[in-house]
Amino acid sequence: MSAAQLSARVIDNRPLTGGYFVLTFEAERPSAIAETIPGQFAMVRGAWGRDLLNPRAFSVLHAADARRFSILAKVFGRGTARLQVVEPGAPVTVTAPLGRGFRPPARGKTQLLVAGGVGLPPLHLQARVAAQAGIAGAVELLYGGRTRADLVLLEDLAAWDVRVTLTTEDGSAGERGFVTAPLERRLDEARARGEDVEVLACGPTPMLRAVQKIGLSRQVPTYLCLEEVMACGFGVCLGCAVPVYGPKPYRYCCTDGPVFDAREVRWS
Amino acid sequence: MSGVRVTATPVDPATVDMSCRFGQLTLKSPFLAASGCFAYGEQFAAFTDLRQLGGISTKGISPEPRHGNPLPRICETAAGMLNSIGLENVGVEVFVREKLPFLRDLGVSVWVNFFGVDFETYVDCARRLGAAPGVDALEMNISCPNIKKGGIEFGTVPEVAHRLTRACVEVTDAPIVVKLSPNAGDNVAMAQAVAEAGAHGVSLINTITGMAIDVRSRRPRIATTYGGLSGPAIKPIALRMVHQVAKALPDLPISGIGGVYTGEDALEFLMAGARCVQVGTACFAEPGAIVRITDELRALLGELGFASVAAAVGCLEPIEPEPPYASTRDRGAAR
Repeated sequence: MSAAQLSARVIDNRPLTGGYFVLTFEAERPSAIAETIPGQFAMVRGAWGRDLLNPRAFSVLHAADARRFSILAKVFGRGTARLQVVEPGAPVTVTAPLGRGFRPPARGKTQLLVAGGVGLPPLHLQARVAAQAGIAGAVELLYGGRTRADLVLLEDLAAWDVRVTLTTEDGSAGERGFVTAPLERRLDEARARGEDVEVLACGPTPMLRAVQKIGLSRQVPTYLCLEEVMACGFGVCLGCAVPVYGPKPYRYCCTDGPVFDAREVRWS
Repeated sequence: MSGVRVTATPVDPATVDMSCRFGQLTLKSPFLAASGCFAYGEQFAAFTDLRQLGGISTKGISPEPRHGNPLPRICETAAGMLNSIGLENVGVEVFVREKLPFLRDLGVSVWVNFFGVDFETYVDCARRLGAAPGVDALEMNISCPNIKKGGIEFGTVPEVAHRLTRACVEVTDAPIVVKLSPNAGDNVAMAQAVAEAGAHGVSLINTITGMAIDVRSRRPRIATTYGGLSGPAIKPIALRMVHQVAKALPDLPISGIGGVYTGEDALEFLMAGARCVQVGTACFAEPGAIVRITDELRALLGELGFASVAAAVGCLEPIEPEPPYASTRDRGAAR
């Protein structure tokens, strides 16, 4: 499967709660986007001329077919602020699908999908893949946000019959606190039952560091989907280096990741 | 005055001769991918037809592999970006064995950008790379702002650049194109020094040293504090420097670099006196940028009545009288 540079148009810009929005694009021509593996990403840039020169990396939320796909975003800086207000019909340049995604869900093994805030898309897509394969029971989503409004697209998960555990820092939905608390309980429970589990996580760095620690201390296979600033997204600019343990000091978020084995990632 | 338009009979774009002569080198198009923005070419094969390029300047190669700088390494700025990658590369041996064959088979001009950490390693690198089959030119980087120890005087002191260029020219038959630093005081003096040492041509400009600050964390936005600014933000400076060198040294081939984003940008460089043009940062945002820009230049040349790329080179007409600051050397002499 190979990535392509695509000319596309915005066909929908759907606001959600908490400042989140889902952008749906339609590319001029079909590509491998429909085969996106959860965790793979798209570099997206509007027709912004010479300013905001670098495209922005977004995890693919969903690819309905070979031309239509969506991302989930929230305003973070100037690029996302522009994307928030794009109207249907607006042209964008997209390079996708890029990077290496999560391993697929499998019967007989439980994948605990740990999402924090804007880190939802790859795990949402992983849940979709499991549901479409008829193994929704092979995944469970543990999803944390600051407040109730930060937890979005829950209706999809309900429709797919995926088990969901919610946490909020203010207690406005689900359990009060961080998503790592139910993760620890669930892993303890899995160990007691001799259940085969692995952890797939995406979210803010503090959350990922905590998940790494929890997963590694329990010797549970743990995979982290990282986010780094990138200029290209396909291994050329070398801006998105990730410090790792091993013979080389760095690997690259865009081509070696964005999904990494938690044992590799060396946070300072 | 500036509203005067040159009227010329349009030419069918399909008939415009896009070939390019850069001294003894002939390129099928005036566009090269700029060093550091195209890696070793392979990553772009999925996105664009590499055979439509005039050439590729590789990621800078050093005698030994390098791992690069700490993070963060890049940040976006107004109409551009800062980088401090740290000249990470696979080293001469791996480059020649694993990367060069792909480039050689493309049928485009292969310029291998290289550097050393001191005088001896520069010469060693030139000798080994120049002997490799399929290398059309060596682009000697004496101007990267991201290498710490020594090095800086290679790119800023004409006598030192002269000695280094001469030493490299003596160990290889491959033409050497010296990539000059915009951070040097006097590019005309630098260009003259390397030309007299036997350089085949010059590339200018490399990135301009700059910085950006995150006021909330009170920290520089890149780990090394300063980095190289690239992108459309630097184009006016690059054009000025190309023009100064072209005026002073009309026989020295110049490869113009700096923020090219459209065919019109490229034509500005040609008119200022560049024989070919390199496209860098635009390739990140748009891997197919060079093919688009080539099409745009072809259409524009036709519209403006140029039958060839060569006809546009150096055709800039001054608003009289020619400004005394066209060359910094003239300015120095006038004081």
